[in-house]
Amino acid sequence: MAKITVRNLTKRYGSATALNNVSLEIESGEFLVLLGPSGCGKTTLLRCLAGLETPDEGEIIIGDHVVFSSKNNTMVPPGKRNLGMVFQSYALWPHMSVRDNVKFGLDVLKTPKGVADERLDQVLDDVGLAHLDGRYPSELSGGQQQRVALARLLATQPPVFLMDEPLSNLDARLRMDMRVELKRFQSDTGATTVYVTHDQTEAMTMSTRVVVMKDGEIQQISPPDQLYRQPENTFVADFIGMPRINLVELNAEDGRATSFSNGDIRVETGWAPGVQKVIIGARPEDITLSTDSGAPGEDYQISAVLPNGPETIIQLTKGQTVMIARVGHDTEFATGQTVKLSFKRQSLNIYNAKTGALVTPPDMGVAKAG
Amino acid sequence: MSDISVPAHGLRSRLHRSATDPVNILMLLLLAVLAYLVLWPFIQLTIETLTWSQGDRRLSRDAVPGEFTWFHWLQATTGPLSTKVLYGPLINTMITGIVSTILALLAGGVLAWCVVRSDMPGKRWLQPILTLPYILPSFAIALAWETVFRSPKVGGQPGLFEALLGTAPPEWLSYGAVPISITLAIHYFPFAYLLVAGALATIDSQMEEGALISGAGRLMILRRITFPVVAPAFAAAFILTFGKTIGQFALPFLLGAPTQYHTVATMVYANLALGLDSMAFVLAIVLIAMSLVAIWFSNRFVGKKSRRFETISGKGFRSRTIALGAWRWPVFTAVAMFSFTVGILPLILLGVQSVMLIDGFYGLENLTSHFWFGTSNPEIAFGEPGVLHNDIILGATWNTLKLAFISAVIASVVGLVIAYISVRRADNPLARALDQISFIPFLFPTIAFGAMYLTLFAEPVGPIPALYGTFTLLVLISVVSRLPYSVKTGVTAVTQIGKELEEAAELAGAGWGMRFRRIIMPLASSGVLSGMMVSFVGVMRELSLIILLITPSTRVLMTVGFGYAEEGLSQLSNALVLIVAVLTIIGELILMWIGKGKMARLRDKQS
Ligand SMILES: Nc1ncnc2c1ncn2[C@@H]1O[C@H](COP(=O)(O)OP(=O)(O)OP(=O)(O)O)[C@@H](O)[C@H]1O
Ligand SMILES: [Mg+2]
Repeated sequence: MAKITVRNLTKRYGSATALNNVSLEIESGEFLVLLGPSGCGKTTLLRCLAGLETPDEGEIIIGDHVVFSSKNNTMVPPGKRNLGMVFQSYALWPHMSVRDNVKFGLDVLKTPKGVADERLDQVLDDVGLAHLDGRYPSELSGGQQQRVALARLLATQPPVFLMDEPLSNLDARLRMDMRVELKRFQSDTGATTVYVTHDQTEAMTMSTRVVVMKDGEIQQISPPDQLYRQPENTFVADFIGMPRINLVELNAEDGRATSFSNGDIRVETGWAPGVQKVIIGARPEDITLSTDSGAPGEDYQISAVLPNGPETIIQLTKGQTVMIARVGHDTEFATGQTVKLSFKRQSLNIYNAKTGALVTPPDMGVAKAG
Repeated sequence: MSDISVPAHGLRSRLHRSATDPVNILMLLLLAVLAYLVLWPFIQLTIETLTWSQGDRRLSRDAVPGEFTWFHWLQATTGPLSTKVLYGPLINTMITGIVSTILALLAGGVLAWCVVRSDMPGKRWLQPILTLPYILPSFAIALAWETVFRSPKVGGQPGLFEALLGTAPPEWLSYGAVPISITLAIHYFPFAYLLVAGALATIDSQMEEGALISGAGRLMILRRITFPVVAPAFAAAFILTFGKTIGQFALPFLLGAPTQYHTVATMVYANLALGLDSMAFVLAIVLIAMSLVAIWFSNRFVGKKSRRFETISGKGFRSRTIALGAWRWPVFTAVAMFSFTVGILPLILLGVQSVMLIDGFYGLENLTSHFWFGTSNPEIAFGEPGVLHNDIILGATWNTLKLAFISAVIASVVGLVIAYISVRRADNPLARALDQISFIPFLFPTIAFGAMYLTLFAEPVGPIPALYGTFTLLVLISVVSRLPYSVKTGVTAVTQIGKELEEAAELAGAGWGMRFRRIIMPLASSGVLSGMMVSFVGVMRELSLIILLITPSTRVLMTVGFGYAEEGLSQLSNALVLIVAVLTIIGELILMWIGKGKMARLRDKQS
């Protein structure tokens, strides 16, 4: 329905740069999640798309229309961009009933009364608020307020949804239910969706692609599984995943291109990254532990065992090096034990320590492009 | 090349956009109008004092109408009459201003402590009575004072004092510095009380308890903790109260003029009455200068300090009252008697006097309802009919309500628009200028402000007709003088409306007008409504501001009442002031009722 193209977008607040030369293509019907640490510019990007902020440079195209272009002096006002937004605070109008809140957008479009009423009944029914339509926002629970915000977005059937941390004010359980519902509405309407969140699980479960940002710049744009398996730099690797990925800086061993160590541990890459200093990234679940002294790998000492529901997190040390591993909940490991630790070599990521960028083995170049 | 051209394009597009933005257009329009209504009158007043006028030919042979001259300033500062016209009144203004402010602060401070921090009984109903003197028209208290202490030596009938004690009160108690200071203090102590009570309410008892635990005694805590914390509020209250007293006109006029005791404000009026306009304008500028100096001091020394104390309210705020023990009832009795004397007794005195046929004779046979219900009788009060039968008064009542209503509505709506612009466009220097310019009328003592408008619309300027003597002029000055308050109310209201509420409407495609009407107005309405009521009551009891601009066709209750008082028709003026008092009290009651509604709604929102 509506493809969104962002080209070289820059937004400054005084001397601070909130967005720096951001370019992005969002396919029609896509569910794109913006993810990144606080202050990285997610909200700013979203507000630029909505037209609530005027970027300093660049171009935004929604559907067939150039809605912003610094070159052609184009700035289409928010109301003319044909998009809907859910704010983090929901921004419900406290002096209007649920029904009036939802109706406002239809009023602006001067929808005939009969059509509007029909649409309202439909939307309120869809979000499960039909019985509460006369209430005021202050008389609703957090989850219900969330639904009103959603209904307001759905009422005018915009081809683009923008959402800024819409679930962050809900408790964990409700958040889970709403995720499913949001996703359902999005796929029912087929609206192109840009969704800001802090919550990685949210990003991973809902998105078709995730954009990771840092300091106003895009770090990586990938489908969620690839983002997790193949972070393109150490920042993304470190940022994604809980517990954190193990990142260890290693030096090439004398005269060998595929073997690296830091004095405590040694890693065989099996291929030549072509740099002297690397950082290896190993997800905690890509580490195999064994009490069998004949197993492959090196000896580590277990320094902490942290049970966490279905899994157990194990902290291990060897000299100065600390590793985190994730094992099943029915583990026998105990603090103080010495175990053999080995990496699943094919899931190891190798980064250039100087630039932080992923170094891919020659035969995997294709995967990276996809 | 392209590096340079891109920002240039951006700038041009921004300029283009801002030129078509309705808010910007409104902002420029308001700026222009306010500059003309606030800044220009002051400039014109100043020019007026520096030019010869037609009337000056009487005063000096050198007068060339329209030419520049220092004559008026020299005459005021060094001329033979300078002591009588400027220095004497200046000293009188300082004396009555400072004395009344000290008295008001003492009374206000002690009462504030009793009400906010002690466990004195009966607070709930004492508090409204304590604010009564400030709600009443200021010269109601002067009239009540006269009723008691009038002295036949100066003229007129004896007062209650003489009727009861058989001997006339000393003149210094009837007229001059003492009664003016005391009545000013009575009128303004509630103002100081409210300011200090506000500051006391922000004291966290935990601060005092902290000192208590470290072994400090009660007095030491008061001296070392409580007082330093409220000191900035005290200083601010002092300066603000002083600033208000010096602009007071009717009250010092009634209690000073009979013995030729003048303040700068009454001198402005007296000079205008004599046709010495330029001299009056010089005095008005002196008055404005005094007010500016006071405000400057308050900003310079108080503003910074009090801001430093602002961060003290932290989590777990608690305000614990202090037990008075055996003093509980004596303190209550004293406060109750005080409130009765300053809040209710004056009204009773006015009421009683308004039903006496011959003023000053206290006896049942002297009672009459003539001044309320009577028709014209040449034997009584020069044939003036009773207030409820008097066409002048009915007309004035209508004018009063009309003026108060129209001004309050316009001031509130304009105030809300200005507040909206200054909050939402805080980064625009023009918006800030608008905010500041709307505050300036606060700096003008009201009688001086009236003097400015005397010259402003005397003659037609371009498309604007001469407005002198019209009702429109009264509305204009009332609106402008209320703006500092209504903008402040508006800012509070708009600040509480999240920006996102408006953005959500913007995304739906609603233009600025629709957003203002459907989102901002309804959400700001409760705050703005109570602001409107405050303005309504304020305009209704206003006298100093408009006394110079009133003509027979635009009379309002306060000016008619003042006119009667000036002519010595005290029963009629008392009756009128009582009417105004009742109207203002009704207004305040409505206000309290609105306030409660607002509180209830706020509670709703929090749940
Ligand atoms: N109106 C503003 N004025 C000045 N600086 C701003 C403004 N809005 C945002 N910024 C700055 O721009 C940067 C990006 O802010 P933004 O709100 O987009 O971050 P965010 O990624 O949404 O963060 P969060 O996850 O905390 O919501 C921040 O450094 C912020 O301080
Ligand atoms: Mg944000």
